[in-house]
Amino acid sequence: MAQRGPRSIAGGAGGAAEATSRLTARPRAAVRTTSIGAALENERVLGLLLLAPTLTLLALFIAYPFVMGVWISLTSASVGNVGTFVGLKNFVKLFGDTIFQRAAYNTFVYTAIATVAKLALGMWLAILLNRHFRAKRLVRASMLLPFIIPTVLSTLAWKWMFDPTFSVLNWTLYHAGFIQTRIGWLTDPTMALMSVIIVNVWRGMPFYAISLLAGLQTVSPELHEAAAIDGANAWQRFWRITWPLVLPVTMVVTLFSVIQTFADFQLVYALTGGGPANSTHLFATYAYQIGIVTGLLGEGAAASLAMFPMLFVIVIVQLWYIRRVEGA
Amino acid sequence: MAAKRMNRRQFVKLAGAAAAVGGAGVEAILAARRAPAYAQGAKLHITRWVDFVPAGDEVLAKQMVEAGKALGATITLERINANDLQPRITAAVSSGSGPDIFHLLHNWCYLYETSLVDVTDVAEGLGKAQGGFYQPVQDATKVGKAYRAVPHAIVGGQIAYRKSLFAEVGAKEFPKTWQEYREVGKKLKAKGFPIGQTAGHTFGDAPGFWYPYMWSWGGKEVEKDGKTVAISSKETIESVKFAVAMWKDACDEGGLAWDDSSNNRAFLSGTISATLNGASIYIESLRNPDKYKTDKGEQMRTDILHAANPAGPKGQFHYHASFHHGIMGYSKNQKLAKDFLKWLHAKENFEPWFLSMKGFSVGATKMWEEHAMWKEDPVMLPFRTAARAFQLFGHAGPPSAKASEAYSKYIIVDMYAKAIQGASAEDAVKWAESELKRIYG
Amino acid sequence: MAGRGGSGSGMVEGARWRKWVYFNVPMTVFIVGTLFPFYWMFVTAFRPDGELYRPWRAINNTPFWTTHPTFEHMVYLFKQTMFGTWMYNTMLIALASTVISLFCGLLAGYALARLRFPFAGSMGTGIFVTYLVPPTLLFIPLANIIRDFRLGDTPWSLILTYPTFLIPFCTWLLMGYFKTIPKELEECARIDGASRIRAMVQIVFPIATPGILSAGIFAFTLSWNEFLYALVFLSSPQQKTVPVGVLSELIRGDVFFWGPLMAGALLGSVPVALIYSFFVEHYVAGLTGAVKG
Repeated sequence: MAQRGPRSIAGGAGGAAEATSRLTARPRAAVRTTSIGAALENERVLGLLLLAPTLTLLALFIAYPFVMGVWISLTSASVGNVGTFVGLKNFVKLFGDTIFQRAAYNTFVYTAIATVAKLALGMWLAILLNRHFRAKRLVRASMLLPFIIPTVLSTLAWKWMFDPTFSVLNWTLYHAGFIQTRIGWLTDPTMALMSVIIVNVWRGMPFYAISLLAGLQTVSPELHEAAAIDGANAWQRFWRITWPLVLPVTMVVTLFSVIQTFADFQLVYALTGGGPANSTHLFATYAYQIGIVTGLLGEGAAASLAMFPMLFVIVIVQLWYIRRVEGA
Repeated sequence: MAAKRMNRRQFVKLAGAAAAVGGAGVEAILAARRAPAYAQGAKLHITRWVDFVPAGDEVLAKQMVEAGKALGATITLERINANDLQPRITAAVSSGSGPDIFHLLHNWCYLYETSLVDVTDVAEGLGKAQGGFYQPVQDATKVGKAYRAVPHAIVGGQIAYRKSLFAEVGAKEFPKTWQEYREVGKKLKAKGFPIGQTAGHTFGDAPGFWYPYMWSWGGKEVEKDGKTVAISSKETIESVKFAVAMWKDACDEGGLAWDDSSNNRAFLSGTISATLNGASIYIESLRNPDKYKTDKGEQMRTDILHAANPAGPKGQFHYHASFHHGIMGYSKNQKLAKDFLKWLHAKENFEPWFLSMKGFSVGATKMWEEHAMWKEDPVMLPFRTAARAFQLFGHAGPPSAKASEAYSKYIIVDMYAKAIQGASAEDAVKWAESELKRIYG
Repeated sequence: MAGRGGSGSGMVEGARWRKWVYFNVPMTVFIVGTLFPFYWMFVTAFRPDGELYRPWRAINNTPFWTTHPTFEHMVYLFKQTMFGTWMYNTMLIALASTVISLFCGLLAGYALARLRFPFAGSMGTGIFVTYLVPPTLLFIPLANIIRDFRLGDTPWSLILTYPTFLIPFCTWLLMGYFKTIPKELEECARIDGASRIRAMVQIVFPIATPGILSAGIFAFTLSWNEFLYALVFLSSPQQKTVPVGVLSELIRGDVFFWGPLMAGALLGSVPVALIYSFFVEHYVAGLTGAVKG
């Protein structure tokens, strides 16, 4: 399309501007000055054009269904029945529902604990992986395995590892002398929520670790050496140098992870189905239960939507924090 | 063989039809003769669950081909996990396209009523030809005046127990009441072989046990009018108290975390001595006799017997899962679907399937009780008449969509689970009452 | 290097002790903790059925090894189920979704990072906000749309819907990467007479290759693991993906075929694991570039 004109690259910004204007003034033989060509040079047109595929896909397969979903949540739709408009009745019923309240509580606890655990462990692992050691590549790759394996299948494996009758974890702990009677991984309500968190952390920590590792690699070792010479110990060096420098990437990774964890469905569905006695139900699993198993689509949509504003608030807070950090 | 017979049958039917329209002219005769052959390339898609007994699915796979030949169409059978049936049905109904026939369980006819085709003609014909349906099955599939699905089979639930272990603690016969069951269980648990029952969120075994348990004490969800919530009663509270005591004395406490497969595994590995289940435990032990051995080294299958639920103060109850085939309203092949169901449920075609199930599923009609198959294995005999006595959830009201809501929210199961985990019986019942009131409005 | 004693301990024994405590032990614990489930799954996949049902306290319970390894589960997996077909389907769908997401993410990331145009900020936020919408809300209305486009029971129903949760992350990643590339590079090219598009494709994109690899690998993984949409939009056994197929064929009501299940789980992770092992360094480098920005 464009042919290179004579290379008259002027040094410096001013020179470049001059050169550019000289270029545009001169008719270039090979540049098609068609309207398309000119339009594509226009920042605004190009920008919108480049965004077009994304916007189309997202509009079609998210925005539109989302609006439909919101509409459904305001009706008494059930399977096969369009239902009638009922306003906020579904939401009112939900908020008074003790199971929903429990699911809300579970979701917050689950997200909070899992995120902190994943962040702490991920950071620790990233620091360890940042060093040079034999088999570094192999270890780095294998650490990602929990993230790679399809969630549904690894959760099934965990389900059996937690099984009251067959648990290999109980076997190990028993033979190591830590326990005498079995641990009720999935039978005790509090323990069940912990078990679900354990699986989530197992699965999600590698993602944190690798992303934070990338962040750590941008921290120049000279900073550490300088601080060491100044007498800072490892812990101080971490908090004063490493942490602030990787904070931006930490926040973004945390943000994506919080969103996914908050809306998590597969893990709890496969592991406990929300039991025992609703102690592991999350927003997504309860919404699924109401909408699909009971067939009350309107209420199910309302339950799914209920997590949206809370998620929105969490995201806004984190984004604000990120901006503040980046600005500082 | 079956296919040939079918074709002759069809020919005879045709000849009769042709004769009947005799005077109506050539066109009519031609039309009648063309009746079973649908438009070229007609297709039928059926979605069923993946059967517990693989042999049954093998029979069905063959029958799809036979039926296709008999009806002049291509019939596809898709099998998915039972838990995944409902999302598929919901998506299909919402989008207005999908499989023509779905496998339906429990009282789903009420849930999906508006999306199912009226199949009264097929169902009634079947019922008449095969000795009548069991009443609960009829209740489950007949919504108002119309059958919304054709009943196919019932998976009976009985208590599978270890004959030798029970004998060791002095129970020559299976306990007849909950008190006796608890006593025996107490002794067994002391020996390390507790009773096993799930109280978790699983769609088959948990409601299958706790609903009949509640009924046997006189508890019920609603009154006959289907509206007044009646769960908060002295009887229900009694049942909860006893359940907690029985759980602590006699049951494997891991049961809170069990799903539908856990009790199978526990039983087959010898850690529990009794559990309510379909016949899948026994049948699995038959399929792999050397894989499952008792702690004494014998084959597990020789030590298994089945018995009905113990009785409570107000009687003996069961909940069995009934299975039906429903034709979806959006289907473009409704006539073909109806003919297919007539073929599939007809005596000569149901029989091979029934035999392959070895009693795990029984027929929805009463004539199958008399089948010679029952003489083969005395261990399976209790399943023969199991279907005679059961009722559906939502008792004492109809098994309506609201009953489904209570079922899928595990309200009754959780009522017992909460008490087992420490809530007082009154609180657990009060919680269940408030949840039910929210559902029944 | 984090972990080395900063107080300048000169004693050799001290340094070695520290290395053990601060590196070797934690590293070992991480490796064991992360990988033992895989080891256990591996053993289970080759364990004969007779040994599978041993209660945890049974005397002959050997959860971590078996004396009679067998291939019967693998054979079952490939012969009795359509596992090979599912692998193929999943691979196809994941690759196609990744390509689409990368394409959209590249263009969108470049536009948001480099160009100024009206509503850029809000569109960027809008793309990000779509990430918040939960799939459990979407999949019923989506079923309608899939039907309207006649995509039901075809791989396209997934190839077009997976990018909805892949694009936001790819866009963010590539945006970050583009921001680190000096503008002067493009300006030089444009002065030379290249059009914007040419500068974008021939100058900027090649430099962002590590970022593209990262985003691609991430997108591939998420597509490979997705379950809900695959369950709802596909019906024929020939069309199923690995997670859905393995779950439906190997769990029959209340009987789990643990051997083949674990075999399926492991084999189902092999392709993605291989890709990662080749590209992990690039993956890390790619993220590094993105986070620098």
